[in-house]
Amino acid sequence: MCAAEPRSPLSVVAVPAHPMIAELPSAIVDIAARRGRAGDLAAAIRAEFGLDLPPPGRFAASGDTTAVWIRPETWLVMAPRGAEGALARRLVETAAGAASVVDQSHGKTRVRLAGAAAPRVLAKGCRLDLHPAQFGPGQAAVTPMAQVGAVLLQRDATPAYELVVGSSYAVPFLEWLTDSAAEFAGTH
Amino acid sequence: MHRIDCPWCGPRDEAEFAYRGDATVRRPAHDAGIDAFYDYVYTRANPRGWHTEWWHHAGGCRQFVKVVRHTMTHEIAGTGKAGDSLPVPAE
Amino acid sequence: MIELPRRPRLRTRKGGHVDRDRSLTFRFDGRAYQGHPGDTLASALLAAGVRIVGRSFKYHRPRGIYTAGPEEPNALAGIGTGARATPNSKVTTVELHDGLVARSQNRWPSLALDLMCVNSALSRFLPAGFYYKTFMWPAAFWEKVYEPAIRRAAGLGRASALPDPDHYEACHAHCDVLVVGSGVAGLAAARAAGEAGARVILAEQDFLAGGGLLCEPGQEAWRQEALAALAALPNVTTTLRTTVFGYYEQNMLGALERVADHLPVPPAHQPRQRYWTIRAGEVVLATGADERLIAFPGNDRPGVMLAGAARTYARRFGVLAGSRAVLFANNDEAYGTLAALAEAGAERVTVVDPRPLGPAAAAARRQGFEVLAGHEVTGGHGGRGIYSVEARAIGSAGAFQIDADLLCVSGGYGPAIQLASQSRTAMRWDDRIAAFVPGDAPGQRSAGGARGCFGIAAAARDGLAAGQAAASAAGFAAKAAFALPEGDDPDATVAPFWEVRARGKSFVDLQHDVTTADIRLAHREGYRHIEHAKRYTTHAMATDQGKTGGLVGAAVLAEARGETVAVVGMPTYRPYVSPVTWGAVAGHHRGRAFAPIRRTMLHDWHARRGAEFMEAGLWLRPAFYARPGEAPWDAILREGRAVRQAVGICDVSTLGKIDVQGSDAATFLDRLYTNTFSTLPVGKARYGLMLREDGMVMDDGTTSRLAPDHFFVTTTTANAGRVMEHMEFHAQTVWPELDVQFASVTDQWASMSVAGPEARRTLAKVIAGLDISDAGLPFMGVADATLAGCPVRVFRISFSGELAFEVATPAGYALAVWEAILAAGAEFGIEPYGVEALGLLRIEKGHVAGAELNGQTTMRDVGLGKMAKKGDFVGKVLAGRPGLTDPARPRLVGVRAVDRERQIRPGAHLVEPGSDRSLGWITSVTRSVEPGGWIGLAMLSGDADRHGQRLVAAFPLMNEAVEVEISSPHFVDPENARVRS
Repeated sequence: MCAAEPRSPLSVVAVPAHPMIAELPSAIVDIAARRGRAGDLAAAIRAEFGLDLPPPGRFAASGDTTAVWIRPETWLVMAPRGAEGALARRLVETAAGAASVVDQSHGKTRVRLAGAAAPRVLAKGCRLDLHPAQFGPGQAAVTPMAQVGAVLLQRDATPAYELVVGSSYAVPFLEWLTDSAAEFAGTH
Repeated sequence: MHRIDCPWCGPRDEAEFAYRGDATVRRPAHDAGIDAFYDYVYTRANPRGWHTEWWHHAGGCRQFVKVVRHTMTHEIAGTGKAGDSLPVPAE
Repeated sequence: MIELPRRPRLRTRKGGHVDRDRSLTFRFDGRAYQGHPGDTLASALLAAGVRIVGRSFKYHRPRGIYTAGPEEPNALAGIGTGARATPNSKVTTVELHDGLVARSQNRWPSLALDLMCVNSALSRFLPAGFYYKTFMWPAAFWEKVYEPAIRRAAGLGRASALPDPDHYEACHAHCDVLVVGSGVAGLAAARAAGEAGARVILAEQDFLAGGGLLCEPGQEAWRQEALAALAALPNVTTTLRTTVFGYYEQNMLGALERVADHLPVPPAHQPRQRYWTIRAGEVVLATGADERLIAFPGNDRPGVMLAGAARTYARRFGVLAGSRAVLFANNDEAYGTLAALAEAGAERVTVVDPRPLGPAAAAARRQGFEVLAGHEVTGGHGGRGIYSVEARAIGSAGAFQIDADLLCVSGGYGPAIQLASQSRTAMRWDDRIAAFVPGDAPGQRSAGGARGCFGIAAAARDGLAAGQAAASAAGFAAKAAFALPEGDDPDATVAPFWEVRARGKSFVDLQHDVTTADIRLAHREGYRHIEHAKRYTTHAMATDQGKTGGLVGAAVLAEARGETVAVVGMPTYRPYVSPVTWGAVAGHHRGRAFAPIRRTMLHDWHARRGAEFMEAGLWLRPAFYARPGEAPWDAILREGRAVRQAVGICDVSTLGKIDVQGSDAATFLDRLYTNTFSTLPVGKARYGLMLREDGMVMDDGTTSRLAPDHFFVTTTTANAGRVMEHMEFHAQTVWPELDVQFASVTDQWASMSVAGPEARRTLAKVIAGLDISDAGLPFMGVADATLAGCPVRVFRISFSGELAFEVATPAGYALAVWEAILAAGAEFGIEPYGVEALGLLRIEKGHVAGAELNGQTTMRDVGLGKMAKKGDFVGKVLAGRPGLTDPARPRLVGVRAVDRERQIRPGAHLVEPGSDRSLGWITSVTRSVEPGGWIGLAMLSGDADRHGQRLVAAFPLMNEAVEVEISSPHFVDPENARVRS
């Protein structure tokens, strides 16, 4: 439908590359249950996507679709970028009035940080304890890092993390992240 | 720096929160008059001791968390959701 | 730097923890010296025979090295050169490296000859509280006379004014057990907790672990074994060169790791220092004990040193601090220095002990040392290094001289309680050791010397127990213990001996030059409380926090009050236990990264176009796009003219945007805004005004209805966060029953304003799927369309007063849409315009913005009083207060310079000619396209209708008075016809 591919927010200023860090172009949609409709929403999402909307502090994935808890009865649903607005439209249809659906595919930027040193990189801004005994695969948190609000989720025990930040903060966030990871560039 | 036990996110550093004042005042009915609204906006007890207050988890789940905090010792006796009624310890 | 006469060899041939096979060259005050790996700058200077290393703060007295650690009050130096120059470094903690450059401080013109030493002669005019008392009058003298003089005379080193080339990091750490200090107690505690399975951080400020063990050759095997055991535990992190400086609530501690201070330049991608924030389940404070000084005349002279320091230099560094020494001590522990000095080659050590002859003294005599029991030291001679010590029998007047080049002093040991005190742990006075001892607190234990448990074996047992208890409290069961050092527990009993009463300056704080007389003066003047006396004299407020003399000062005050030290107490310690650099505090967040910089998706286009950027909150926005050679105002007026006469395009992506949905969304907005949104038809936008509950205007913006239960709210750039929070507060706590959800979509949508008489013809060329004629999309209409193949939402709204469309598109398409509109508008002369022209246009149109909606104005003040609806909304009731409805309140007007070219300024007051009574003030100004010349908006007293009157815009700070004419704020199209065209 669109003539142009959407630009990455990381393209407006050059940000150095780093082997541990990669942008994940994604469709990202915010779904918030309407008052009293959380159960209906959960059932509809389960039927359509095969995943259970997770409780606080968790995310759930099915295939390439991920749902992260971000606020009470509110989730971010993420999938690899497809046709413009397609995921949001699918969610509107699925929710059938049980949720407020807001497309954030351009408003949020999703990156992956993976490698044995990843927790040490994050420790330079993240206040949470990411020790395996405290935070592991399947867990998620909304927490500021380096003055930027971020959604953090741990994908696997590599450890591999995903971080979702507001797109206008993506450049300073990535500048901090690559700066913090610089010492591990050869060792990840 | 305090840790505040967000009822949704668990214990988080104070830096993630914004203090938002007395959580015991209630917005009056719209026809309650100027005096009632004046009290709602301006009149505060400023206690030395336990205080039930709002902390907005601005850096996390964006919820207004109720916190019972001791204004002298900064001890936190309990936290809860906006609608919760929290017990306030005796002095 | 003073070279003493030839002396015996100062560096021992073996022993200690220095690598004599390698040499390091360093410079001090321009002269080259040699040291070894393992040296501190202090040990290397002592080995080189350097005695004077600095001048004191207030009296500029010559000072030498007093201690062997972070408690050092005297020996501060500037380290490094150029941008890396760091002042006030304690030479006792500076790790020597090859090429290190150090400078003495606080001397002029040189260390040996310091002209400011006159301060010392004038000292009776520089008593405690001197600055408070003397410079009170006349006030005018402060700026011109007193302050410059004081600044020249006092103060310590100077920081480099160059940008710091290194980078710094903040890091967060978490553990079950944090052990502070790696002496025998800390090692035992860390190992016990680690072997129990707890996650342990062992933080040591020194570059070697071991604390006092480094002076105990007999325990070296145990130290090595303990370190190897810790290294083998994956759950234990030992971090050296890491000073825990602060103990905050709920077991949060701050620490500074000096990652690269011991290297000339940090390795690539390594910070120079790391600022750790540590969250610990349990804390074991194994910070050891600090030796305290005795106050006697001249106890600050170069050559006077704490006894434990002299022992450390001999045993750890193999450096003999003096060959003809006097030991002045009131405790048995200090007698250990005798053997250390003798082994290191001292010719002679004489003991002066105020106590009657005891077992330790008797043993010393048997070993051949001269012991003067029942004696005291009354002074030391020698300005540039002790050459004789004056002593007398206690109670006798007849003093005699002892030939000496080193005077070792020990008033006993007290637990290093700084961290425990910061955490407000209760302190208990222990008569046995004459010191305050910390108790335990929830999640906190002190162990070993830090709680008065002296002696290697006893401290080790105490550390083990503390480590096990901490692990157990953190949920880890203790394992079988490991072997501990053995030995007899010393008798740590101390007879307090604080002060020798004799003529001369007896210092209790060497860094701040505070004497016993100053403390007594503070007491006489009414500063009886320890916290008051501390502030009045600045005792223990220097960078060493009075670690060597704090308790002595308290004892002098206690004596003056006729009470015990236990009653007088110690001041509460505050962070930082040791100084922390600003670089470490700032971490990553300095310069460009001070705060995150938000950029729109058109940022790079603006930059290529030559935009001058300005900050708007965290955003960077184009202020204007100057052509080569074009002055800023010419560019701004050109951009403004394009909008008035043709068409312009402006990136307004920074406006706050909030998506509001829910079956009660309309009700919710009705309650938040002064006007009504439930009546807004789908596909329409409406300007809205939001008040705070106190009745003042909070924000404004347009709100569009996209569906019956779906609104799109815009806010000003500055207030986006505040409005979001305002909505959340009311939805969550005031009306939780309402079904309404919000999401910030500021970053999702890029938006651009296309404004001017040619706006429609420009857009019509590129827009698809939407009729943008006045009939197809009337004023305040909203509709979706396609532009350059990208989805767009078009709002027929105007901030400039011209025919205008705001085109919003998912942000990734912003550039494509923007460039397509520019191409379409080329034939009409389209110009991109920046924030300055945006301001020009809105001032001409009389639209209020942040300068008018400053939190102190009501709807009525800014001419929007008719926007208040009948029903309830936030702020309605208090907006009706008499003071806020007073017709005389200043209200919005326009002002125009009578002489069109005379600049007017925001902040200027409006007065009648010849009057100095302010009638109001100018809020916003611009040079204008219409009506031309300088115009502005102002808040002018509503006591009379002054439209058409001439007033004076007075700006006394610049001595300006400009005649202005008062008008309606709507300079352009007051009938609002253009926006509807």
